[in-house]
Amino acid sequence: MWINMGPQHPMTHGLWNLRVRIEGEIIEEVDPEMGYLHRGIEKISEDRHYNEVITLMDRTCYVAGMSWEHLYIIAAEQALHLEPPERAQFIRTLADELQRIASHLMWYAAFVQDLGLMTPFLYGMRDRDLILDLFQSFTGARMTYEYNRAGGVRNDLPNGFTDRARKVMDWLDARFVEYDQLCLDSDIFHRRCDGLGVLSARDCIDWGVTGPMLRSAGIKRDLRKDRPYAAYDRVEFDVAVADGADVTARYLVRMEEMRQAVRIVRQTLDWLDKHPGPVLAERLPRWLGAPYAPVGREGYLLKRNYPTGRGFSSVEEPHGEAQAYVVNTGGEHPYRVKFRSPVFVNIAAAQKYLPGYRVADIPPIMGSVDVCVGEVDR
Amino acid sequence: MAASPAKENPTNPVTGVVRPLATAAKQFTKSLFRPSTIVYPYERLEDPTFRGKVAVAAGRPIGVGDVWDNYRGVHALNIATCISCNLCAFSCPDICIEMVTVAGGDPKHPKKCPQIDYGKCSYCGFCSDACPEGCLTMTTRYELSVTKRAEMVYPPERLHEVFQRKLPMNPIRLERPANEDNILLDAPLCIGCNACARDCPTKCITMLDVAKPTPKPGEKLPRRIWKEPVVNDSDCVRCGTCISVCPKECLFWGTHK
Repeated sequence: MWINMGPQHPMTHGLWNLRVRIEGEIIEEVDPEMGYLHRGIEKISEDRHYNEVITLMDRTCYVAGMSWEHLYIIAAEQALHLEPPERAQFIRTLADELQRIASHLMWYAAFVQDLGLMTPFLYGMRDRDLILDLFQSFTGARMTYEYNRAGGVRNDLPNGFTDRARKVMDWLDARFVEYDQLCLDSDIFHRRCDGLGVLSARDCIDWGVTGPMLRSAGIKRDLRKDRPYAAYDRVEFDVAVADGADVTARYLVRMEEMRQAVRIVRQTLDWLDKHPGPVLAERLPRWLGAPYAPVGREGYLLKRNYPTGRGFSSVEEPHGEAQAYVVNTGGEHPYRVKFRSPVFVNIAAAQKYLPGYRVADIPPIMGSVDVCVGEVDR
Repeated sequence: MAASPAKENPTNPVTGVVRPLATAAKQFTKSLFRPSTIVYPYERLEDPTFRGKVAVAAGRPIGVGDVWDNYRGVHALNIATCISCNLCAFSCPDICIEMVTVAGGDPKHPKKCPQIDYGKCSYCGFCSDACPEGCLTMTTRYELSVTKRAEMVYPPERLHEVFQRKLPMNPIRLERPANEDNILLDAPLCIGCNACARDCPTKCITMLDVAKPTPKPGEKLPRRIWKEPVVNDSDCVRCGTCISVCPKECLFWGTHK
């Protein structure tokens, strides 16, 4: 029998449909259907100036907007031949890690609610708000930041930001212990999660699964270490790895990643305290970015001989490895923008890690994948 | 693949239930004295008297914080200093800004100020970044619920009301790009029509006389006014209005040789 879990289902965390063929209680076959949230972001990007695409990036993944801004802006800077200042690199690293904590806390809150635990949900959302407060104090918005610009970031950190951020990090350190007490020490949690949704290391590689799901299978792959971008080669941290490849292992990996993110944030804060400087190397010329002014003669932009270029970037997003490709043919808009979403691949692999388990196991397993449909469909 | 059997349970059934409950009870007791939420709308985050009372800034992170000055909420427009340069409308990614006529301008060439449709606005702040005079800024006001869609459209006068309330405004202003192009003139095409100087929002274009050449025998001089625009680059805000009004397309972006 085929049943549809979605597009409106508490398990889905967004608009997508999981078609499941069951034999009694056992899942026989799985068919994930995506596309309900398709907004054509790649096509819209071709009609926007380089900086204006950033407004779309925040809406691509609404829980990890900063990581997607960072992803796009690295590719755009390569295509436009811009080099951000060092301080901007560190601010981006800091923002990325804050976003990772916020995204993982959001995952934690949603995941435990899938298990039926209401208390940790409230704790996760409460502590995520502290991160959003930090974001708001230096970007000006809680979720749609619009903070990165080609060539740096929009503005510097406000006065007293580093002290506030340190306080929040201290607070979070104590909370992580609490989260583990609520979940890892709990009998109910283990009965619900242990040995579920196993996706072996071999299958992870075959299906292209990345991020915490890959690391939960024991593979030590993290783009921040393997192919460092921004300032990740100048901070110390460990890659979180766990064995078991099941739901509990993914929980362990994400918890450890949050602890490592706190560690990175502390190091970047120390660096930023000591090294003031410019954060925006150069604003894009008017005819190439916002604000846009009439260009006058036809063909003028092509006559400018602004260097063309292509940019490719891959970033360790909270959900996995995201990639972007930007083609600059000398016009005022990017010629083509392409994004690779990690969650799209992670959901597609459900055909591998769901069959064999029971219907009631679907919420914890899909919860442990950390689905963000905004970036799946783009 | 068969369902894998549950692992050997590492926790004790008694402590495995009691310990999480004890953690929750601890947090519950704390929350009695220091709640994590505020009683909205009776307490408001942007209220200055409320600031620091429960905020992270006061060293007591309990779950709520400030609305900071650089929050991107409703726009405030100072009509008096607006020069109608159109840059906010050009820079808007959502095309929600329209330049509409406001009272108090020259009837021949009415003054135009931005009107913002908040049904479309994404609060990205590119317009206030683009504003060369700092007259269009964003405030901390975020409560915008209305009952009719037409009320989402804020005409300039209503944006000016927001300005007059003296709400905290975004203090960060971006510097002008250093590598900006200038307005250049293709002199042989110019007919001296004065359109650029007339419409320049900053009045940085002056029409200077050029010498009328003496025609050679049999040569016909072009019909034109013998004047040419000269742009004061330090006053120019690079809005491109002159380029768009030029009937002969003789003005263009470029760098001085």
